[in-house]
Amino acid sequence: MSKDIVILFGTESGNAEFAAEDMAAAIESDAEVTVVDMTDFDVSEFSADVFYVLISSTHGEGEVPSGARPFIEALNSNAPDLSGVEFAVFGLGDSTYEHYSRGSEIIEEKLRSLGATRIGLYGRHDASDGSLPNDAAVEWVKDLFATL
Amino acid sequence: MSQLQPTICIVGSGPSGCYLAQFLIKQWPEAQISIVDRLDHPYGLALYGVAPDHHGTRAVTKQFDRLWSNPNVQFVPNVEVGVDVSLAELQANFDIVVLATGLHQDRKLSIEGDGLPGVVGAGRVTRLINGHPNETADDFSIGQNLLIVGQGNVAIDIVRLTLTSPDKLHGIGVPANIIEAIHSTPIRRISIVGRSTCSQAKFDVAMVRELANLTNVSFSASGLASVSKGDASDPKEAAIHDLVANSLAGAQRNVDFYFGWQPTAIAGSAEVSRVTFSNISRPEETLIFDTDTVITAIGFEESDDASIRRNQLKDSNSNIDVGLLSAGLYCVGWFRRGPKGTIPANRVDAKMVSDSITQDFQNRDDLGFKKGRQAIKQLHSASKS
Ligand SMILES: Cc1cc2nc3c(=O)[nH]c(=O)nc-3n(C[C@H](O)[C@H](O)[C@H](O)COP(=O)(O)OP(=O)(O)OC[C@H]3O[C@@H](n4cnc5c(N)ncnc54)[C@H](O)[C@@H]3O)c2cc1C
Ligand SMILES: Cc1cc2nc3c(=O)[nH]c(=O)nc-3n(C[C@H](O)[C@H](O)[C@H](O)COP(=O)(O)O)c2cc1C
Repeated sequence: MSKDIVILFGTESGNAEFAAEDMAAAIESDAEVTVVDMTDFDVSEFSADVFYVLISSTHGEGEVPSGARPFIEALNSNAPDLSGVEFAVFGLGDSTYEHYSRGSEIIEEKLRSLGATRIGLYGRHDASDGSLPNDAAVEWVKDLFATL
Repeated sequence: MSQLQPTICIVGSGPSGCYLAQFLIKQWPEAQISIVDRLDHPYGLALYGVAPDHHGTRAVTKQFDRLWSNPNVQFVPNVEVGVDVSLAELQANFDIVVLATGLHQDRKLSIEGDGLPGVVGAGRVTRLINGHPNETADDFSIGQNLLIVGQGNVAIDIVRLTLTSPDKLHGIGVPANIIEAIHSTPIRRISIVGRSTCSQAKFDVAMVRELANLTNVSFSASGLASVSKGDASDPKEAAIHDLVANSLAGAQRNVDFYFGWQPTAIAGSAEVSRVTFSNISRPEETLIFDTDTVITAIGFEESDDASIRRNQLKDSNSNIDVGLLSAGLYCVGWFRRGPKGTIPANRVDAKMVSDSITQDFQNRDDLGFKKGRQAIKQLHSASKS
């Protein structure tokens, strides 16, 4: 990967952050990787020179986790032009809930509506069996960068 | 700053203690953190409160498991602070001590008859279901006519779990004697009664929707503000309407929701047999339940015999809002803010307290000279010998 990579996580109970750190460790020998909480990310800094990996859970009734709320609100109110920005998405959820994995989809749709392009397979993890997303997320991110 | 090597003792290994350790070790990778718990196993209510069929919620403990692979973080089991070691001893041996001991006692109804046999707290029931090592099943059984007081998520957990088949309970690890105590007399009716209106009730919609998966159960509700789902503007009312409307005729078990009632007296001779409620908006109106088992699910409070009490530890410098009790002594989680909020709320809380600790200590250069974890071993073995 020639671009620098920013892994943006949106979390409520910490699973997405934990998986983001494992993803970073798995790919940092091949690229410059930083892990950033969506809450702390300034949406005016989106850049076409960086590849973004988004990982977010779902909470409430199919909503984004509280850690992604300021991010979505900033995207809504600032509406930055994201043309040229490339990203990939890994969604966390639990299929015993009615709106499975919806939180990450809300973010994905928002970024595309602002002109960004999603690359690669949409990754998902289902927590209904009590597993953590880490292993699935690491496999997914390795496959993603192997094909880019 | 990251070179600071304070010795830190976190008392209590529930979600708030574990999240705090995660944040502190990230801020101070060279810190030496000991997390002590009175139990043999960590994670507090994430293990002994959260329903065992909610695997996704339980998964957070796997996040915490990773803590123990960091050589600078250590779990110290079977040490009850205030009994096996004193808080003063910990403070003498650690630069920073944080209390994350939670609040465990079921809040009492505080009405006539609330101590009768057959009246049991939801905290105790969920500890039994989760195999808590210090909880005994003596005198615990559920008859055929169960009354639940309170309508929060814990009350809904109790409805779901007590109506779950023995095989399934076994499959999720519920101890055999507890399955027997729940199922030896099959439950025919559960009445679940709360003070609030339905829209103000504390349960989450997803929790009520999940009840639709139970088999052989018919639902009813009284005290709703709307007549049918069509005119329910509130999502909780809509969810209850759905449950009732989709109930199968001929089910042998009934779950009845009553909104807007508060209990006034519990009667019975050897054990509970009747509970009286009065209507919140029309107090002269009463509702009487004949019942053999009452489970109270109205929240938690400080134990009568708590070995550590927050209000006794405050001094003139305390600022509970940021977790500060006194110099070097902090609090986090339910112990800090009271028995409210889910596991994620403790993560937010732990982040805030972690920030306040690191700010307080950022300019100190005298840290890391207290003995830390070796001291616990010595103090502990001294108290046991
Ligand atoms: C029945 C029930 C079900 C719940 N279900 C859910 C759910 O499904 N989802 C959700 O998000 N939240 C749920 N919650 C809420 C969640 O459990 C709490 O928000 C959370 O556990 C509070 O964390 P804590 O670390 O403050 O306290 P606790 O989890 O209570 O941890 C306190 C720890 O301190 C230890 N301790 C206490 N005193 C001492 C002492 N003197 N010395 C040493 N150790 C001590 C205890 O053994 C315990 O391990 C539930 C709560 C209950 C009661
Ligand atoms: C209260 C609550 C509500 C949830 N709602 C949903 C939901 O609507 N859809 C879904 O797919 N997952 C839902 N989940 C599951 C989480 O997305 C899943 O457990 C995830 O791994 C949590 O990741 P996090 O720790 O990064 O927040 C919910 C979990 C909780 C505790």
